Amino acid sequence: MLRRAVAAASIALATLAGGPARADEILVGAHMPLTGSLARSGQAFDEGMRVAIQMFNARSEKHKIRLQVIDDESTPAKAVSAVEKLVSDGAVAVIGGYGSNIIGPASDASNRLKTTYITAGAVSDELTARGLKTFFRINNNAGYQRGMGALLESLKPTSVSILASTKEAPALLAKGLQKDLAAKGVKVTVHEFDPAITDFKPVINKVKLQDKSDILVMSAYENDYVGIIRAAKVLKPPVKLIVGAWSLATPKMYSEFPDLMNNVVGTSFLPFPVEMKDEEGKRFAETYKKTYNKEVEYLSTLSFVETTILAEAIARAADAGTLKSGGLPDAMRQTERETLLGPVQFDATGDNPRFSVAMGQHRAGKIVLVSPAAAATGEIVFPGLPW
Amino acid sequence: MTDLILQALFSGLLVGSVYALVALGLALSFGAMRIINLAHGELVLLAAYCAYVVEARAGLDPYLAIPLALVVVSVVCAALFLMIDRIREHRELNSLILTFGIGIVLTNAILLVFASDVRTTASPQLQDATSIGPVYAMNGEIVAFGVSLALMVALWWWLKKSWYGRAVRAVSSNRAAATLMGISPVRTELVSFLVAGALASFAGVALYTMSVVQPALGHALTVKAFIVTVLAGVGSIPGVFLAAILLGVTEALTVTLASSALQELAGMVLFLLVLFLLPNGLFGARARRG
Amino acid sequence: MASLESAPAVALKAAPARSRVPGGAALGLGLLVLALLPVLMGASNYMLGLLISALILSGVALAWALLGNLGGMVSFGHAAFFGVGAYASALLSAKLGLPVLLTVPLGGLVAVVASLAMLPALRLSGPYFALAILAYAQIFRILATEASWLTGGGAGFQRYPGLPNVFGLDLASRTGSYLLLVAVVTLCALAYLAVRRSHVGLALRAIAESEDATRVVGVNSTVLKSLMLLLSAFITGVFGALNAHIIGFLEPDYAFSGVWSLMPIIAAIFGGYRTIVGPIGGAVIIYLFDQVVAKSLIAVGHQIILGFVLVVMVLAAPNGLLGLVRKGDRHA
Repeated sequence: MLRRAVAAASIALATLAGGPARADEILVGAHMPLTGSLARSGQAFDEGMRVAIQMFNARSEKHKIRLQVIDDESTPAKAVSAVEKLVSDGAVAVIGGYGSNIIGPASDASNRLKTTYITAGAVSDELTARGLKTFFRINNNAGYQRGMGALLESLKPTSVSILASTKEAPALLAKGLQKDLAAKGVKVTVHEFDPAITDFKPVINKVKLQDKSDILVMSAYENDYVGIIRAAKVLKPPVKLIVGAWSLATPKMYSEFPDLMNNVVGTSFLPFPVEMKDEEGKRFAETYKKTYNKEVEYLSTLSFVETTILAEAIARAADAGTLKSGGLPDAMRQTERETLLGPVQFDATGDNPRFSVAMGQHRAGKIVLVSPAAAATGEIVFPGLPW
Repeated sequence: MTDLILQALFSGLLVGSVYALVALGLALSFGAMRIINLAHGELVLLAAYCAYVVEARAGLDPYLAIPLALVVVSVVCAALFLMIDRIREHRELNSLILTFGIGIVLTNAILLVFASDVRTTASPQLQDATSIGPVYAMNGEIVAFGVSLALMVALWWWLKKSWYGRAVRAVSSNRAAATLMGISPVRTELVSFLVAGALASFAGVALYTMSVVQPALGHALTVKAFIVTVLAGVGSIPGVFLAAILLGVTEALTVTLASSALQELAGMVLFLLVLFLLPNGLFGARARRG
Repeated sequence: MASLESAPAVALKAAPARSRVPGGAALGLGLLVLALLPVLMGASNYMLGLLISALILSGVALAWALLGNLGGMVSFGHAAFFGVGAYASALLSAKLGLPVLLTVPLGGLVAVVASLAMLPALRLSGPYFALAILAYAQIFRILATEASWLTGGGAGFQRYPGLPNVFGLDLASRTGSYLLLVAVVTLCALAYLAVRRSHVGLALRAIAESEDATRVVGVNSTVLKSLMLLLSAFITGVFGALNAHIIGFLEPDYAFSGVWSLMPIIAAIFGGYRTIVGPIGGAVIIYLFDQVVAKSLIAVGHQIILGFVLVVMVLAAPNGLLGLVRKGDRHA
């Protein structure tokens, strides 16, 4: 009974694993967390990728790319399975999901299968320390650290309090910021918190009564931002600005929590409404709006850039006739261009050493880029608080 | 330092009162039926999403969601009870697994309908601050505290004075004898289960108005409620309230005096200590029956 | 083999019919044939990958069922042992340079040491025990996060060796890992069988019938239950360690994830937790069903189907799929 079931399942699986890419199209695979606690991130990534492919196919005469996405459920084993399935289906490259714990094993598997792997969702330095030949990423912890650090230093605070989730990416960012700011002579206090926390008043009260900091920095995720800013609004610590990391300075956050967001600063790529001189940014925002009927999301911009860069490298390799013979990593290393994220260029480890985030400020429903000076679309409101 | 501690005590008191609201229902069905309803946290969450629908989709005050939540949660509760009642062998163990399964179904159903976004009240009145001397709170929290206290007293009174309340206590202490006295155990248990559901409805709406909710939260709520039930010991309704506040205050003091990374650890350690050292809980009226 | 010398010394009531299983050799052979099938059929890496994940769950489900069936205890926190085994083996191989094939069983032993802290919980009944273990799993997760000087904390731990080459077989390859897991699952199943047929197993079954009566005869139930907890922890720790070396990345949220507590319960209940083959087969069927069928039906939230499976099994077939099959056989 059992044996038969397994045999039947294996046959079903073997047939499922078939279905190679159509001859006139180049297949690109992706694994994303479409379920589980990171489903929101996965969804946003997915949308950016699809818009990038749509725009690439529209302007490319010779090469058309098809995208196949598998849900990795934020589980390493399932991400590895996804990579194996995608490669066996004929994918020339894989776009990775979210979180270093997922990206690590998945890109290892991809490297074993000699397939190019690119991600915008993993910031740990351990990943590039492996020296894989097929691994690329467009963003990293150092870039977030630089972007946020530059803004903080320009405001010349005497003391900063950092509230950091103990999860991977926020913990890394907090550690890096603390080191950079301390080196500049700023007094830094880090409060690590368990992701299960919902009442932030006791922590904020420490900021208010003990730290008495000029700036409150949040290295965390959306639900934490809401809890922290709410608690701050109740206790009103004497800070002059609230600064956060990813997924904070977005039109969506403002429309859902209008009472909490005004004057809050977070990492951002595009101002809102998009008032860019940049052609690519404008077309991206238009296509995105037309396809999904909403404003561009933070993570969608990241995945748009990584997918565009990958698609262009695939076209270069295909033109040179090296796509099938392992020429894609070399074509990736030829990348050197301005993007919505700033300059992208890969070093020997596949990292993008020039990555540095811009910072945007919520301003009554708009988002104004306030740092660095080169990208700024307005002056920062400082001191500026949601209350 | 004094201000820090005062605020921690006050915050702990308010958070604890919501833990109590969540735990009262679990403790009631556990006391009455010897069954841990592992889907209780999901029932609370269901009520919280009712409040979200009423506020965000219908544009009404979230407190107006209470009737809707009562209906929705009661229907689910009755279905759940009918299933538990069908279990014939190893009732304690199998009901644990059954309610666990229902919890998974509810969590994913909420995920399917409402996606994984973070939800909370947008009402400015509820989010505004109130200060009492040197300590501060959100208005929503103060309301939740009042509701919790009132429901605790009401439940206590109901169990003590009403006929059904006495029947529940009779069935829980001796099922056979109660049957001989003409009390239908099944009906009594159903009533206690529905009352537990009603408590979950209030808890869910209160949670939505003072904190953030997301689909994965249900399991964590059940665990918190169970911890409170163990701390309190079986059979004492005011005990549940006090134990919940003890847990809330312990967590807040851990954050204030040590680190916010250790908050959950403190709660778990308190739970195990009481479990091992005080088998009847802090306020348990009688010994745990095997 | 221990299972062959299991003549009962104490005259106790014979076990119920459903615990009659084929001999250890037959069981082992059956598992081996089952195991070699995909390899012989030339399965893709993708399919082997799915089966590897399924077998890891099989191992934990077996350990969970051992505690539930022989020890009479339901645990909601086997993730504690899984995570401890994973971290112990990864750290021992990375920091002390011990060979991975040694650190995997050592990971199991460290999980046993961790389970010693849970011995006081054995006095607790049913739900109290289940949730006490859950509390332990949470505590271990937080400790692993806080001990960042050792574990890398929330940022994770990555640079540790994978599975080695043995006699020309690369265990890190999909085929190698798969065969290794089949072997380890088989070994654990045989160990379970041996325990069940030994005096200990007999005494434990008697305890399950009537704890008070056996105490009169002089059987110390607490000691026997402790042994089951330690064995269950060991097996779970070993699979945690194997998984860590196969995956190659650890972080507290993953190593101590509730999935490692939850999926084995579903698998064991589904297959029949009072049997040995039930949890193993249950895990394979449930995992493949979830990944191949359920996922294609409902992309987001397909676990809802697993919840329904659990509910239906408890109501319709509390002895699991195997119990259902056997009942059918007897009626035929």
